[in-house]
Amino acid sequence: MGWENNVEEHRRRIAAAEAMGSTRRLEERAAAGILNARQRIEALLDSGSFHESGRFAVSARAESADRSPADGVVDGYGRIDGREVVVCAQDFTTLGSSSAINNGRKSQKMWRTAEKNGVPFVYLSECSGARIPDIMGAVGMGRIGEGFIFSRRRIVPWADALLGMSFGGGTWVASVSDFVVMRKGAVMAVTSPRVNSVAISEQIDPEDMGGWRVQTEITGKADLAVDTDEEALQAVRDYLSYLPSNCNEMPPMADVPAGSGEDANRILDLVPEERRRTYDVRKVIRLIVDRDSMFPIKERFGRSLVTSFARIEGRSVGIIANNPMFKGGALDVDSCDKATSFIAMCDSFNVPLIFLADVPGFLIGIEGEHRKVPGKIMNFMQALELASVPVLSVIMRKSYGQAYINMGGGRSDEMACWFTADISFVDPAVAASIVTGLDPTTEPEKFAAAVDEYSLGCSPYDLAGQYLAHDVIDPRDTRRWLGRMLDAHQRRRTGGIGAHHMQSWPFTY
Amino acid sequence: MADIDIKSEIAGKVWLIEAEVGQGVEEDDAVIILESMKMEIPVAAPVSGKITEILVEKDEAVAEGQTVARMEG
Repeated sequence: MGWENNVEEHRRRIAAAEAMGSTRRLEERAAAGILNARQRIEALLDSGSFHESGRFAVSARAESADRSPADGVVDGYGRIDGREVVVCAQDFTTLGSSSAINNGRKSQKMWRTAEKNGVPFVYLSECSGARIPDIMGAVGMGRIGEGFIFSRRRIVPWADALLGMSFGGGTWVASVSDFVVMRKGAVMAVTSPRVNSVAISEQIDPEDMGGWRVQTEITGKADLAVDTDEEALQAVRDYLSYLPSNCNEMPPMADVPAGSGEDANRILDLVPEERRRTYDVRKVIRLIVDRDSMFPIKERFGRSLVTSFARIEGRSVGIIANNPMFKGGALDVDSCDKATSFIAMCDSFNVPLIFLADVPGFLIGIEGEHRKVPGKIMNFMQALELASVPVLSVIMRKSYGQAYINMGGGRSDEMACWFTADISFVDPAVAASIVTGLDPTTEPEKFAAAVDEYSLGCSPYDLAGQYLAHDVIDPRDTRRWLGRMLDAHQRRRTGGIGAHHMQSWPFTY
Repeated sequence: MADIDIKSEIAGKVWLIEAEVGQGVEEDDAVIILESMKMEIPVAAPVSGKITEILVEKDEAVAEGQTVARMEG
């Protein structure tokens, strides 16, 4: 033989790389029910599909080489539902998976490989921030600065599961990802509370800085928060099931679950005829789409608008629906940002858009103006104008003013109104007040007559009569109409592949 | 039993007060209904619990973010 030493050394080095950090740290995680980096990869990928790349890399600094297996990031190739993906998992037990020269090079290599080969890039973030000894001084900072490139375009889907304290590098990746799921208890921020307290003498609770409530409700940077690592990794799998592997492919078709569309008649029970009354549009969406196929994006953020993946007749769609349950369905700054980012994502990955409109207008007032609402409305509008995927829209009840246009009015490949639709510039009572100056409390009869006058000509048949809508439908036929129209508008000339004008649209607004 | 503020997420006028002090409510139950944007907009309980204070009156104008009631959850 004579190869024993080589074989033995090879085995020993593999074992050292796979051991990750200290036994104590690994045991602490296990006791807390938190998976380690390698367990996360196993939970994410199809069983037995992982093949590691870069396992022998260690710290660029010789004095840390012995305690930096894989340099704190486990990278490689695997499959999700039989489809190839690239995955990087930060190993917090190894030097806090702090960002350093070699693990930075590993991550860069992996995402470039994902783009070159047209497969999704999945990042599992948990990072203590920069590895300060490695990048202190001019040469350290210079090397890091030279090596990192953030010129991402939406060529392949990026999904980030943010599963622990995440500062610096882990947060940068999440910030340019298409989808971010957080485990409750994880934190996403620029720097750690310790750096904050040293730099600006501010004592901060990490949850207040970047916990799941902050990121799902205030900033909208995270799309979803769940209780466990396993749920987060399942969410990544679910998310990717709606998308193609890259921008030059179509999303995969799914089987249509039994019973889909069976309860369509219940739509009439859910939606009040009286336009002042509210309801939860998510319940309506569930009746329209394939059973259990709804996958909301940013559900806790900008809640007057629902953005959700779903399937109709097995085909992936992106649904944008006003939700009267919150703020009466009025569009505000957050819901406009949410619409813009969702349109950019769907359009980049050839997912048709479906608008469901029931909107009293944009939420006016000082708060919105101070937060640049006109710019947000136009961003949303610009995204809709640039979209080249099929756009279908349904006006359910009211749809007023500029919000009518933002919700696809006059901008759709096919637009239908429910027979309950009500289309105008503003609510008739608002028009009556503004134009006549009448006070409804002192002159109720005159005011009522003015409201009646401004209520004329707002019906779906008025719109369809001038061919400004393409059909008027019974709400119970919505699923059938959408399914048929998705088939008709398949963009067969390009096989459904769009122009992707928003591929470089920013990931944060 | 922490005190929880129930805040309006929209400016408007109080149209109906749906809950009383001492009343048990479920998460997402309407506590106050505002009139805003010509719609009846519920201000809902953020968690399940018991109403401890109602801080507004019918027809009162409320601002975005204003606490309109309190509860313990």
